[in-house]
Amino acid sequence: MRRIMTALLALLSFNSVAQAAEAVRFISCPIYRDTDAGRKSGCWLAEERETGRRFDITQSATKPDWSMAVLIEGRIADNQDNACGAMVLEPVRVSILPAQACTRAMIPAEGFPGRRFVLPSRNIRPLYAPEPAPPPPYTAQLFPIPFDFGRDFVVYQQSDWMLVRAATYAKASGGNVVITGYAETEPVHVSGQSLAEPAGLGKTRAEMARLWLVSLGVPTDKVRVEWKQNPVPLADPAFDGLTEISRRRVDIRVTP
Amino acid sequence: MKRSFVSVLALLAAFTLPAGATWWSPGDGTPFPAQYDDADADGVTRLLLDGGPMETKGHPFFEPKGNYGRACVTCHQPSDGMSLSAETARIRWQETAGKDPLFAAIDGANCPDLAQGERASHSLLLDHGLFRIARPWPPVDHDGQKIEPDFTLEVVRDPTGCNASKVWGLSSPNPQVSVFRRPRPVANFKYILAMGFAIDPKVGKPLPIDPETGQMVSGNLMADRRALSLEAQMRDAAHSHLGFDALTPDDIKRIRDFEDRIFVARQRDRVGGDLDAMGARGGPETLARSAPGRLGSQGAAVWSEFAAWEKIPADADITPEQRAWRESVARGARVFREKMFLITDSAGINSPVGFGNPVRNSCVFCHNMSQMGMDVAPGQVDLGTTTMPFADSQPHLPLFRLTCKGPAHPHYGRVIHTHDPGYALTTGRCEDVGKITLQTLRGLTGRAPYFASGSAPDLRAVIDYYDRRYNIGYTEQEKRDLVNLMGAL
Repeated sequence: MRRIMTALLALLSFNSVAQAAEAVRFISCPIYRDTDAGRKSGCWLAEERETGRRFDITQSATKPDWSMAVLIEGRIADNQDNACGAMVLEPVRVSILPAQACTRAMIPAEGFPGRRFVLPSRNIRPLYAPEPAPPPPYTAQLFPIPFDFGRDFVVYQQSDWMLVRAATYAKASGGNVVITGYAETEPVHVSGQSLAEPAGLGKTRAEMARLWLVSLGVPTDKVRVEWKQNPVPLADPAFDGLTEISRRRVDIRVTP
Repeated sequence: MKRSFVSVLALLAAFTLPAGATWWSPGDGTPFPAQYDDADADGVTRLLLDGGPMETKGHPFFEPKGNYGRACVTCHQPSDGMSLSAETARIRWQETAGKDPLFAAIDGANCPDLAQGERASHSLLLDHGLFRIARPWPPVDHDGQKIEPDFTLEVVRDPTGCNASKVWGLSSPNPQVSVFRRPRPVANFKYILAMGFAIDPKVGKPLPIDPETGQMVSGNLMADRRALSLEAQMRDAAHSHLGFDALTPDDIKRIRDFEDRIFVARQRDRVGGDLDAMGARGGPETLARSAPGRLGSQGAAVWSEFAAWEKIPADADITPEQRAWRESVARGARVFREKMFLITDSAGINSPVGFGNPVRNSCVFCHNMSQMGMDVAPGQVDLGTTTMPFADSQPHLPLFRLTCKGPAHPHYGRVIHTHDPGYALTTGRCEDVGKITLQTLRGLTGRAPYFASGSAPDLRAVIDYYDRRYNIGYTEQEKRDLVNLMGAL
């Protein structure tokens, strides 16, 4: 009996992992659930129209604008806390699609608590308490920087932290820096739509990264900028396992 | 009531200012003391000149310079918390029959080509405390190069006539946009210039670099951030408000020295008494001694200066009125920090940074710097005070119609009606329309009206605007507590 129970539990566990690993990618209009567990505690939901599943997309660094459609890319989370009344996606990335208007939708908390704000691990330290510079030895390092679909905006408490890390390392090592910006110009089909980024976006992303590095103290003459299209996906912690989003990135290579 | 001194002298003078005591005329020569207390009907605002008194005779902040007989002090009066209240302007008009340099045609009138000396020609300054700010159109960058704006600008109406003027208007040989703004206080710069972080998350970029020094700067100066350093601000002000283009390096150094040392805050309330009593740490001394640029959420909570008044001992030797007022201030600080509401459609908060639209937070979301309530991650924000549909009715102001040529504004759409495009007059970007640099919250009582366009005649009106704008639902008690708090800053 015990053996059967163990097998059943193992099977359930396997199914759970398999389900948790499921990746989703869809376009929808966001819904704001007005939970109140303090600052930044409201929930963001979105329904995958193809399946009717409603997801909790709150954990994205970029939160939606309730009047614009969003591209959602994520995985169903291992831990489903049901704080917002929908299936949790984590990791998850939200890209706002300004050209696609949505009717604003806000629903009440309906008993769901939301989540108290927790400072993300990727947050820049204040200037009065800076992160110490990385110690030598310095080796060649790659710092990939993710971007939301269609944007060169540096995502708060995500890509900004990565750029500061890259700048800190480049300054400490005194190395040469090559910045390569990428855009995903090859159309992908999501929720019945064809999405493709403009060819010039790789350049503006690269130049944005350059602005950050130089402003943060990396010598101008150490930095070279280039841009390309449609890179191969990159498996790097910067993308939290969402390899498809890595097609929209900037690579910062520091060579001491 | 700001100037109605509770003294026999003031009553006898019937709104006449004591000569040389309250109004600080250019070239007055009165030494600036280490501590300057300005009493009004409701209490005392204190200015501290850290490092000791200073001679003003010959000092470039206080001596008249340029074509209009003005000095910096003309519009940055010590008795008005180093700004200028509309009431002071009215009293000055009465005392001098409109002859004071304060009313210089260039910006103390609704338009320079109006008949000077007539009250109607100066109504915006007298009724709303507003000075004319002429911005080049199209905008120019910090190197003086023209920017191609991504929006068109038309005048819907202009009661001042200035934007249609052949000399001063949009179609003049030197095209300019006239907007009307309150003067910002010249004090507490340690905090205004502080950089808590090296980034401006509101635009997803590092803080701006001052082209003159190559150094990163806070970007917190001036309503539309048209100057990045105090030195650039001095030159801008000398040129546009004094008619003076010859500030020397020594002038700038001496003004900077004064501005770095001057702190202002409320010190005493008529009802509540000293603001640094019974464990509270109000008043400017705390400002002068504290480190700037610290996040309230990680250190001293914003307005925790008044935390000691949350639980006043029952046997405390104070009157019931004092107790009630102090407890109200302490509650106001809590409301400021803890009353959550949905912030919506405010560029700089809800876009482009990914906080979400809407996002739930409190006043300290933006006013997050310990001791000062500035934004530690500075930048420009649109609260809607100057832009439709959120702006209160301001029929006395010009109204512009802006049409975005590229992408629509994230919250207003493609066509925007505004009294003041704000930061967009510096950047030329549609997405920046209506954005204004955060105001400082110290020494408020002496410098009504509030908001950049003077749309809030008093502190209660400020609270009421926020309540309407964000549907906060403050109770009457919470509103009174917030007003008392702001009066204690």
